[in-house]
Amino acid sequence: MTHLPYIVAAYGMTIGLAVILGTSAALRLRRARARLAAIERPSRADSRAGGASAP
Amino acid sequence: MGRNETVLNATPSLAARTGNFFHRYANPGRFLRLGARLQPWLTWPAIVLSIAGIVWGLFLSPADWQQGDSVRIMYVHVPAAWLASSGYMGLAVCSLLSLVWRHPLADLAAVEIGPVGASVTAICLATGSLWGKPMWGTWWVWDARLTSVLVLFFLYLGHIALIRAFDEPQRGYRAAAILGLAGAVDLPIIKFSVQWWNTLHQPDSITLTAAPTMSTNMLWPLLVCTVGFTFGFAAILVARLRAAVMESRVRTALAMRRGRAEAQDSEPDLSGAVA
Amino acid sequence: MTRKSRRLWLVGGCLIGLGTATALTLSAFSSNIVFFMAPSQVHAHPPAADRTIRLGGMVVAGSVRQQKNGDTPVSQFDVTDGQDAVTVHYEGILPDLFREGQSVVAIGSVLADGSFRASEVLAKHDETYMPKEVAEALRRSGKWDPRYGKAPDAASWNSMTKSATSQDKAAPQHGS
Repeated sequence: MTHLPYIVAAYGMTIGLAVILGTSAALRLRRARARLAAIERPSRADSRAGGASAP
Repeated sequence: MGRNETVLNATPSLAARTGNFFHRYANPGRFLRLGARLQPWLTWPAIVLSIAGIVWGLFLSPADWQQGDSVRIMYVHVPAAWLASSGYMGLAVCSLLSLVWRHPLADLAAVEIGPVGASVTAICLATGSLWGKPMWGTWWVWDARLTSVLVLFFLYLGHIALIRAFDEPQRGYRAAAILGLAGAVDLPIIKFSVQWWNTLHQPDSITLTAAPTMSTNMLWPLLVCTVGFTFGFAAILVARLRAAVMESRVRTALAMRRGRAEAQDSEPDLSGAVA
Repeated sequence: MTRKSRRLWLVGGCLIGLGTATALTLSAFSSNIVFFMAPSQVHAHPPAADRTIRLGGMVVAGSVRQQKNGDTPVSQFDVTDGQDAVTVHYEGILPDLFREGQSVVAIGSVLADGSFRASEVLAKHDETYMPKEVAEALRRSGKWDPRYGKAPDAASWNSMTKSATSQDKAAPQHGS
């Protein structure tokens, strides 16, 4: 391939950024979901006055 | 930080009062359900199509008769340029929804579009530079197309900074929405710069009005890459927005709990409950 | 609702105002936004001798002279916009895409004799992308010479190259 370094740099940059954005979004979503679940469970429990666990 | 709790608390009452079309989708619970259902339909096509498009463009498509293999940079540069402009279009729409309808989900979306849009614009500029050096003989020129895309990049950076600049998030949303909407004048300038003025950058190969000036075995990988990257942009955005809604719910719940605890302590400190 | 529609009108009005202001500014400055001058513009309004300008146009077929001055290549070629031509002198390595019929942008200044001394030459490629084989076939079919102009419509390549390959099959018999 001609001008290989330029092509490799362009593709590397694009793929690298896509992976960074994708994984950071996935990790952030997972953490937010876990925190929300942790916070909602006890409050649901005490709003049902210690009744049956959530389905 | 306490960014969005007041907005999202206000949402159900607003929705109930107006019954507005937009506000039905401003309901964060509804968005979370919709987003969770939508997510795999965005993520998987994005991964499959992007990989297919990159392999096709990098190894299977032909080299250009005069540019040789450097033309392969097109398969990442053009989708990035398309997403940079359409991402800003989305930001402008969110700004309008925010300014006129006070749409709370649009504010959260604007916060999340900013960094993703700035990233693809940076990729567009960087890959363009890497393409320009071997082909044109220069990394950068101040022609109308390149300059207007650089302005777009700075608009994104300004929006990112402005929307986070205020202690009271609502003020940041308003100010950033004004910037986002005003900056939209850059979009037609980018689009038509190569027709209105003579530039070093070539005119668009794919237009709505004429047949593409490209052989079909280069056009197909370009289209696959563009569709794949667009799905990827949407998937990342939806994931970030879902996370943002969840984070604001967490903050609301924490604030409410703190408020309740303080009420039980029979200390009516309202400032703690609100902030 | 009235507050909402008032905000909508306000935002719409501001946008129209801003758009008009931008359009007026751009049209007022459009001669400065232009990245390069064409040879006919250079002839009509010759810039001052010491001013650096950018000259853009197509390299005239058959006008390129290249020689070596020690290690640095020295080249001379004519740049045209179809109406006028300017001779460009350039000392240095030309970009890969430089060829006869290619659009180039030369950065430099006009000399007293009306020729142009470039300090930098950039190649400007067009928006046509095609594989080497298609370009070859088009050239062989005689329907396009890259030295004299833009490639024909992409939609017509198929029929053109098809006729070229059928000619190729016939060609060896004539040649031998």
